[in-house]
Amino acid sequence: MITDAMGLILADNRRIQLGALTRPRAIAAMPFAGRFRIIDFTLSNMVNSGIKRVGVVALTKYKSLMDHMGTGAPWDLDRMRQGLYMIPPYINPITREPDRTDAQSVIDYVETGDQKYVVISSSDFVTNTSYKPLINAHIESRADMTVLYHEDGPIEGPPSMAIELDEGGCVRDLMVDFPRPASQKNAVGLIVISRDLLLQLLAEMMARGIADFSIVAILQNYKRLRVHAIELEAPLLRIHSVASYFDASMKVLDRDIRHMLFSVDRPIYTKAKNRAPCIVAPGSGIVKNVLASDGCAIMGHVENSILFRGCVIGRGARVTNSVLFQDVQISDGVVLDHVIIDKNSVVKMDGRLLGQPGFPIVIEKNAIV
Amino acid sequence: MAKQEVIAMILAGGQGSRLGVLTELVAKPAVPFGSRYRIIDFPLSNCTNSGIEAVGVLTQYQPLELNSYIGNGHSWDLDRNNGGTYILPPYLSQVGNDWYKGTANAIYQNIPFIDSYEPKYVIILSGDHIYKMDYLKMVESHIRNGAEATIAVIEVPWEEASRFGIMNTDETGRIIEFEEKPDVPKSNLASMGIYCFSWDVLREALIKDEANPDSRNDFGANVIPGMIEAGYAVYTYAFEGYWKDVGTISSLWESNMDLLTDPSLINLRDLGWTIYSRNPQRPSHYFGPESNVDNIAITDGSEIFGECHSTIVSYNVVVEEGAVITDSILMPGSYIEAGAVLTRCIVGMDTRVERNVRATPDEADGLDLFVNDKLCKDGITVFAPNLVIKEGTKIVGNSMIGADHARKYPQYVEEVPHYSRMEVSL
Repeated sequence: MITDAMGLILADNRRIQLGALTRPRAIAAMPFAGRFRIIDFTLSNMVNSGIKRVGVVALTKYKSLMDHMGTGAPWDLDRMRQGLYMIPPYINPITREPDRTDAQSVIDYVETGDQKYVVISSSDFVTNTSYKPLINAHIESRADMTVLYHEDGPIEGPPSMAIELDEGGCVRDLMVDFPRPASQKNAVGLIVISRDLLLQLLAEMMARGIADFSIVAILQNYKRLRVHAIELEAPLLRIHSVASYFDASMKVLDRDIRHMLFSVDRPIYTKAKNRAPCIVAPGSGIVKNVLASDGCAIMGHVENSILFRGCVIGRGARVTNSVLFQDVQISDGVVLDHVIIDKNSVVKMDGRLLGQPGFPIVIEKNAIV
Repeated sequence: MAKQEVIAMILAGGQGSRLGVLTELVAKPAVPFGSRYRIIDFPLSNCTNSGIEAVGVLTQYQPLELNSYIGNGHSWDLDRNNGGTYILPPYLSQVGNDWYKGTANAIYQNIPFIDSYEPKYVIILSGDHIYKMDYLKMVESHIRNGAEATIAVIEVPWEEASRFGIMNTDETGRIIEFEEKPDVPKSNLASMGIYCFSWDVLREALIKDEANPDSRNDFGANVIPGMIEAGYAVYTYAFEGYWKDVGTISSLWESNMDLLTDPSLINLRDLGWTIYSRNPQRPSHYFGPESNVDNIAITDGSEIFGECHSTIVSYNVVVEEGAVITDSILMPGSYIEAGAVLTRCIVGMDTRVERNVRATPDEADGLDLFVNDKLCKDGITVFAPNLVIKEGTKIVGNSMIGADHARKYPQYVEEVPHYSRMEVSL
């Protein structure tokens, strides 16, 4: 059955930043689970739900995002009709600043699509689910928009979107970044809305000079519009901070969560890198509870960790409770615990980096330690 | 179509009968190799890395899996507006064309395809060799020598020379004599089955060969000896580096093991000469809390909870806790249950080895029902794709277990339908 919806992915978020890790990239381009980026889950969910036209709204630093998406071929979005649309901000020719709002380029993208509905997704969560039931529920409920929520308890401190529902299942209260929310229910950054209503809201935002087009800005219309809420039943990994990124990464080591996240029926697609198979060398240390990727060469001891493509772990090195991005080199004898190391960084001979549970050390991209 | 100066034709239609049950349902070039690859990834990647943009793949035997693996050639950057990959099966015409009778006949039947690119040079490749080679260097040598045909050769140990097609050359590298498997070899330059021809010369030779009713229409047996005899300028191109014909169970196993014993032999980590493959779209591989691994190669979607030593693990493989795998090749989608012990085994795609199955070269009380000494040597045991090996079965080395055994010995082997394979494992 044809899905009468287009996708709109908000690749960055001014409220949600992960320090050194999002300095070189949009949050959607954050590497996740060894060989993916957060946007792979969002794009694959859309494509697996039958959506064939997806726009990706970028704010700044979208180079790594564009490198990753290319023509959209990994997601079968390299199409003659529809396909993948990159929506960078329009730059004001005089001030050289991004123009007044992010909204005009979004309006242009939405207006040129002929689908009746728009699925809008933020890039601060990872899940594997079909959006078809959500779209169908939205159509049946005749609500103005439908938002996904997860019952994951009170989230203390920003960023959060605590919601309360009326007996009809519609949002009657929304508390954004409230430090002591009472509600167990928290909105997930995923909304279904009709194309026409979205265009109207965008035009109003432009007219009022609201600069930030975001999930929050749309949901804040809950008092005058009927915002229906549907519970997400699949496992949800929220990525709001360095600590939650680290926790979400470690959860992928759990077999059940991993199998639900990478279901055979709904594959998560990503750009191919064509690295050689991972090698665990003769006489390596113990390798246990580890997610590792192509191109890795493991000679040392690795435990409770995630290795992205091309990581090298030297002889006698000991890596525990850590996340190493692509092409990180750990020299012989290095000891790491609770560390996140960004792409291409090198930890030289016999270095020791010891973080704490809840407070991982972050080493930025291209660093030499 | 726009001109292409060089085009490549890959002969991928052979059955590969010496691989037995591994090629019962798939053509040899589609057989998995080296954890992430299929054999045909090597010639296809060599083409794209050599800058050759038009590649014909000649298929005949069991082409379904090979065709769907190659698809539109995207994985090798060979989905192009001008050129790209073409799957070329035999076809019918008004004059009654037929199956490809031999390697030369396969090219003969595709003369119109080659003509459409107006190439100066045509490279003929086999779909069953593991090597990395810059074909343009061979073309350059062909041009430098003023050759009409150039044959890639590799030095083989003298004691093995009588197993190969041997080229006897003069001091300039021009071939004066070709001997197929000579008893007393005069040289140790063996043909690699990789040829470069000037297209106008080859075109003429193929038409002449087709008109000869006594010819087997084979490059090695007829066309090349004929050209040497007729005085054409046929030269060798000496290749140095890793090259392996993986036509037998032993050579397939050895070549896989070479990746572990000396990864520098065919350096797959060389980013300057990437071997491309179809991406299985699965998550990273996982080593469980009790896993014990050492000297292995492994790729996407596999999960190891047990022990693996000196083993090639392909994608989507599961080894349960308590299983012990040594010196083996686990092909894509294979599943090894707890307590199974496999040594020197090749487990075909999507085959499930149940609990406490034991298959080792000298298995005490092992069944010898499946022994196939003709194809399996050195204690290597092969399981066909899409089987279930029943719980507790014990098997001696040199066995080859196929779908026909499932009918004869249902207590040990069961066959499962293989229709799901392409979706799940590809």
